[in-house]
Amino acid sequence: MKKISTLFIVLIIFGSCSKFEEDININPNLPSEASGMQLISNAAFSLSSVTSTPEGAFLAQYLAETQFVTSSLYPEGGTNFYWLYEGPLMDLQMVLDQPELLSHTDGPVQNQLAVAKILKAFFFWQITDRWGDIPYSESLQGINVIAPVYDTQKSIYKSLFTLLEEANNQIVEGSINYDIIYGGDMIKWKKLGNTIRLLMALRLSEVDPALAEEEFNKALSAGTITSNDDNFAFRHLAEASMQNYWYGQIVDRNREWWALTENLVEEMKPVNDPRLEVYGNPASATGEFVGLPYGTTDGSILGTTEYSLLGSDIYAQDAPVYLLTYAQALFAKAEAAARGWINEDSGALYNMAIEQSVLQWTGTTEGVETLLQQPEVAFNSAEAVELISTQRWIHLYMDGYAAWSSWRRTGYPNNLVSPQGKEVPTRLMYPSNEEFNNTENYQEALDRQFNGSNTLYGKVWWDVD
Amino acid sequence: MKRLLFTLFFCLPIIGNSATITLVLDDSSLGEMISKIESQSEFKFAYENSIEIEIIIPGKFTFKNEELNNILERLSESTPFDFRVLKNNITIIEDLPAKKYKIKKSVLQLSVTGKVTDVNGIPLPSVTIQEKGTNNGVLTDFNGNFTIEVNSEESVLVFTFVGLKTFETTVGTSKTIDVTLEPDESQLEEVVITALGISRSERSLGYATQEVSGDDLTVSNEQNVLGSLSGKVAGVQVTGATGASMGGTQKIKIRGVNSISGGGEPLIVVDGSPISNANFAGSSGADYGNLGQDINPADIKTINVLKGPAASALYGIRGQYGVIMITTKGGRKGADDLNVTLNSSFSIEKAGNFFPLQNLYGQGRSQTWRTLANGERYVNLSTDESWGPRLDGTLARQFYSFYPEDPLYGQATPFVAKPDNIKNYYETGHTFNNGLSISGGTKNSRYRFSINDTRIEGVEPNTWLKRNNFGLNAAFDLSEKLTLITNINYAGNNAERPVQGYGVKSMIGWIPRNVDMNRLEDYTYDDGTFLNWNLRNPGSSGEVTNFGGLYWINPYVEAYENIDNDRRDRFFGNIGLSYQISEGLKISGHVRSDMYTQNIENISVFRYGSGGSLPQYSIGKYQNKEMNYEILAEYSKKWDEFSFNANIGGNIFDRRYSYLYQATEGGLSAPGFYNIAASIDRPSTTSYLLRKQIKSGFGMVSLGYRNTYFIDASLRNDNSSALPEDNNSYWYPSVSGSFVFSQLLNESPFFGKLRLSYAQAGSDLDAYQTSFVYNVGSIYAGEDGTVNSLTIPNNLIDTNIEPSFAHSYEAGLDLKFFNNRLGLGFTVYRQRNENQILNLDISGASGYGSTTINAGVIENEGFELQMTGTPINTDNITWNSTLNFSKNESMVVELYPGSDVYAHSSTTFSSVPTYLNSYVGKEFGSLIGQAYQRDPSTGKILLDSNNLPLYTDATHNFGSVLPDFTGGWQNSVSIGNFDLSAMMDFQIGGQFFSRTKMILVRTGVDPITAAINDRGQNVRDPLEEGGGVGVNGISAETGEEVTAYVDARRYYNGVIGRHIYEEWLYDASYLKLREISLSYTFNKNNFGNLPFENVTLALIARNPVMIWQKAPEGLDPSELSSGGSSISWFESGQMNTVRSYGVKLNITL
Repeated sequence: MKKISTLFIVLIIFGSCSKFEEDININPNLPSEASGMQLISNAAFSLSSVTSTPEGAFLAQYLAETQFVTSSLYPEGGTNFYWLYEGPLMDLQMVLDQPELLSHTDGPVQNQLAVAKILKAFFFWQITDRWGDIPYSESLQGINVIAPVYDTQKSIYKSLFTLLEEANNQIVEGSINYDIIYGGDMIKWKKLGNTIRLLMALRLSEVDPALAEEEFNKALSAGTITSNDDNFAFRHLAEASMQNYWYGQIVDRNREWWALTENLVEEMKPVNDPRLEVYGNPASATGEFVGLPYGTTDGSILGTTEYSLLGSDIYAQDAPVYLLTYAQALFAKAEAAARGWINEDSGALYNMAIEQSVLQWTGTTEGVETLLQQPEVAFNSAEAVELISTQRWIHLYMDGYAAWSSWRRTGYPNNLVSPQGKEVPTRLMYPSNEEFNNTENYQEALDRQFNGSNTLYGKVWWDVD
Repeated sequence: MKRLLFTLFFCLPIIGNSATITLVLDDSSLGEMISKIESQSEFKFAYENSIEIEIIIPGKFTFKNEELNNILERLSESTPFDFRVLKNNITIIEDLPAKKYKIKKSVLQLSVTGKVTDVNGIPLPSVTIQEKGTNNGVLTDFNGNFTIEVNSEESVLVFTFVGLKTFETTVGTSKTIDVTLEPDESQLEEVVITALGISRSERSLGYATQEVSGDDLTVSNEQNVLGSLSGKVAGVQVTGATGASMGGTQKIKIRGVNSISGGGEPLIVVDGSPISNANFAGSSGADYGNLGQDINPADIKTINVLKGPAASALYGIRGQYGVIMITTKGGRKGADDLNVTLNSSFSIEKAGNFFPLQNLYGQGRSQTWRTLANGERYVNLSTDESWGPRLDGTLARQFYSFYPEDPLYGQATPFVAKPDNIKNYYETGHTFNNGLSISGGTKNSRYRFSINDTRIEGVEPNTWLKRNNFGLNAAFDLSEKLTLITNINYAGNNAERPVQGYGVKSMIGWIPRNVDMNRLEDYTYDDGTFLNWNLRNPGSSGEVTNFGGLYWINPYVEAYENIDNDRRDRFFGNIGLSYQISEGLKISGHVRSDMYTQNIENISVFRYGSGGSLPQYSIGKYQNKEMNYEILAEYSKKWDEFSFNANIGGNIFDRRYSYLYQATEGGLSAPGFYNIAASIDRPSTTSYLLRKQIKSGFGMVSLGYRNTYFIDASLRNDNSSALPEDNNSYWYPSVSGSFVFSQLLNESPFFGKLRLSYAQAGSDLDAYQTSFVYNVGSIYAGEDGTVNSLTIPNNLIDTNIEPSFAHSYEAGLDLKFFNNRLGLGFTVYRQRNENQILNLDISGASGYGSTTINAGVIENEGFELQMTGTPINTDNITWNSTLNFSKNESMVVELYPGSDVYAHSSTTFSSVPTYLNSYVGKEFGSLIGQAYQRDPSTGKILLDSNNLPLYTDATHNFGSVLPDFTGGWQNSVSIGNFDLSAMMDFQIGGQFFSRTKMILVRTGVDPITAAINDRGQNVRDPLEEGGGVGVNGISAETGEEVTAYVDARRYYNGVIGRHIYEEWLYDASYLKLREISLSYTFNKNNFGNLPFENVTLALIARNPVMIWQKAPEGLDPSELSSGGSSISWFESGQMNTVRSYGVKLNITL
């Protein structure tokens, strides 16, 4: 008996003990604490990939595929938006929900929050413009709502206007740390927030002109960007971890897959647009600028040596990617003036926009004067919206989604082609994962907007004929 | 003086309450009386040897149909014996000195004592010792000692013990007889090693286990022992590629999929020590294989598969998915001779099962020739498709003619097909395996030492494996009661293994039909330029200026310059002490360990993908140490009709795993200097540490009654450090029973057993899953300083997570007929797995892509049938056959509230996704992808305005990926000294997507892309000349039926070979001859002057033929493997089937 009881005691000591060393289950491999600005800076890193995709360039028909002609034929299929929610937006939402994560040592907390709000607004604006109604009010709540409802684009626009206004109002003096966009300059952030609001307002010109005009003027009076120095851009670095998407494709992977489209070259070459030499390289076979007909699958036409491929400056490892520019703001003002929303000279703003665009792309204003005198370019108030929109398209080179939105709203440029009979889509399809993960809300959103089907040709709220 | 005696016989219950006997005694002997009564009833007599049955019972008695009780009463009165009835036993007790009576024959009384032990020298209690031809017998005591009185020196003693060979010896003049009983191989199934190494008689088990002997695992020299289990155990499914025969991945599942995540592999236990079966391979890249391959197959004595939670209940949280119990060979205590065996085998390996390919059209995108400025034709180098011109011998500049250092520089050569270009890439591989084992023992020790050396050259260029194994298995008696036991294994691996999955070597589809592999083999020019077959086309100068491969690099560059090397040193084993405290009570303690260091080194001169075109070097050093400290007390006791076993024990599992991985960034500072120090940018580095402990206590009791009824109950408590502190202790009970119903029948012609079990099992999670952490983001080192970042992980954790939980029910029937010539085992089971630990995909709009939570229920139901038979058994010919057959269904009953779909896995190719999903209320694992759009009323395909098929988005459900039935059929025939054995395995049902087949069609190398259409023209001919692919369907616009011809490239390359996964869905059913061997044994009996005990020479073949399959030639549904991923559901760059043929020599000295 004694032996048996000794045995039991040994076993109990040996085995059934639920105590462990205190730190045994603490992950030594990852940090459990963060400074809020580190989260905001990670969100800013995502800006690098918001517009850098061939798909954006295809929607605006800036680039054509030289081989494997598939994506440029606007195939049906969902485009993922999860990465935007899971990546930048969740990082920003964490900061907005838990401001205690933000430290005064990184600058005024009010300013850090304002930056988070401006970035949040920018990302959501991108998403809703591409897909239409999207999860918004119930999104970014983790386990509390694993299948968030889709909000209407209209309500999202209104909410984002408010968010941007809050950001504008809470900015105080004092710079912030961890800012790769403006080096902590809050005045530039303030201008950026208002310019986003300005461009969002313009987007509503057809669906709700009154609201558009009102928001446009509010944004303008709060102060928008005033020079190319204020441009919102992601400045890539000459190193692998922070390099330009196109460098990875063209240099690292040796891909000669993209040529300038015939549409673009034909718009620029006849008027000696100085930006063309930046946008593309001359065709290697001829030394000329030759555009490739968009979406052709004809093996006898396709080729790499006969066409102008993407410009060396565009795919340079550290080439910046522009997200919102001074020229864009000027085009917006020119259009607002033409629409009578503001009392300014539309033509002067138009010329200034082109001048700033050339300056932005080429580094000088050389050639601008001649360009502006070309009959195809010269301002003419009767065709103001067409001219502004077409020139905006040329300016927005490589920011395909922005140019595509402008095209959907205004119908310009009017030279986009329908490859293999496929028209230019008017939205992106929701990712198919949503059908699996968020079935009911997804279906409800489709029923509400597009007669129940997830199609490339449904029109978002602001896109009215 | 009356002495009470005990019985020797199995207790048989009375059938009917009374028996009537007719008995006439006329001065008959006691023995005559006993046999007369025994012959007429169920009763058995028992008596001590001192009672001499020759004693005459004086007088005359006549009983006619009288009750036995009455007869015995009368006899008790009239003879010097008392007859007492206890149930069906009659005990004879001596009443008066028998000498008073006349004795027929005088008997010499002889007393013999001795000790009975097993081969390990462990004393055997309860061994039956019987004097042959008499009822005289005794049992050994707890220490294996016995004393028996026998009649004469000529008496023969018979030693019997269940599961051991019956031993007979003549008494002779010796007064002491010590006996070692050897295991009875023919009755191996009767004693089973169960969880924690506890030996149990098979009849007492209430759950299914199935054993495979080591000899069956080494038939064809398979290097990964898990692979050789394929088809040999009912309900066990093994998948792996034969091309990965050099220690590549073999995945094993018991009773189908038991977790919604699809993971959950059985625990592997070698001589009581759990060992790691981790896998360092991803779903593409080099297949480093599962670590279970480190076991030397030649060391294995048996593998016992514990299939359900009841069998593995004593392993608690680690045994939910079953246990593979491996017992290694050992020496024999008391075997004074040394046993030496030599094994040698050599085999050659050939790649087989190639896809049929077309040989009519070559590289290009259109049939129009491209021309240089000087008018010369040249092959379109900037494509990797075979949609180009006809291979009609037209003179054209081919890729090599653009390399200035090439002898054919500038020359046009005939454009012709190279029909065997893919086959030519493969070489004849070979495997050379040599092993030696020495075993033996002394009076108080036993040992076995083994050494093995394996060298493999693969069928792909520059792939090889070298492996060394050492094993030591020994035990020493330190004192009479204390024994030291140890088992130590070393495995060393060094390999460059073939690459699996889609990649540079997935060349079948992408190498055009005109590219000559023999030209590519010599891949470097003197100036160091690599020869590539796909290049940027010549510019206006007519020269190619950039010789970098445009899409692919030369496969030989990949093979010889981009190198994945892995090395692993591993020790596993245990050391333990066993102490016999007292009769029936033993306590043992073991320290068990599994440690390895794995190095993986990658060198690339140029590689597509993340590394870009820059040369790169990376090295990872992975270290794992798993310790188990175990203590176990075992108690056993028998009372008359009861047997009682109890075990109680404790275990501490402690794991420490760490790695350091580094890779160069931005290229190398000196060409060919592959070292982290050569990194131009700051090298990327990851350091990782994982610690985990599980503390457990467990116990089991087993009660048997009359060797007929058995009941077991066990309980285990696990405490896992990976669980939240206040919620980390869990209990897992099990109960099982067995009923040997044949025991109830007298002289039963068969053996029959019914078994039932219920168990709860659990499985916990990896370390560090219960607390929130950030991920480390990128660093931006800009002009204004450095900005670093953190980010929120995409997977959301639940801090209150619990272990998953399973209820398992099982019932089975075991039958054996005709003296074990026919056996049948049948098991049905049902398992309900609750509270699954799921990485549930949630809407990314929630801010997280997935969450690790407790949710979901998956139910498994199935049956297993195992038939063994010896249809022929004559002196010269024996035929043994085993058939295993099983069916399993896994239903997803529940997921998380608000979630109907669980996404296991997805893959996107050319922007077209495919998924493996599970849906609530459906079978596990549905294949999801793009299908044809069909007209709802006719089912016909809808066509667009170009008459090309329309397709759905990637949401069409093609049904479950899992097979309906799996099994194997094993046969061995011995004729004289010849042995022929063959193993087949099969699968019915199951399906998969084949990306390879899709690519073959897309790139125009598949024969259908150059077939003759029903207008008698090649489909590639112009439509107006009668070419084109015929399509029939309904126009989506008009609703009218359309029959038309469309351009072959637009159809195959643009639509079918890109979007329509319905076309690339294949049934995975097959029947395969996995191994076959023919051997001849020379032994001393037949060849008297043989210098060895015996020599066996065998011809072996592994994977010689696929007998039948549903999927097209080129695909091998039995080898769907994608490295470490848990479910194989799509094939992409599957390694080529490898067939192996060889000779094997086995010498026992």
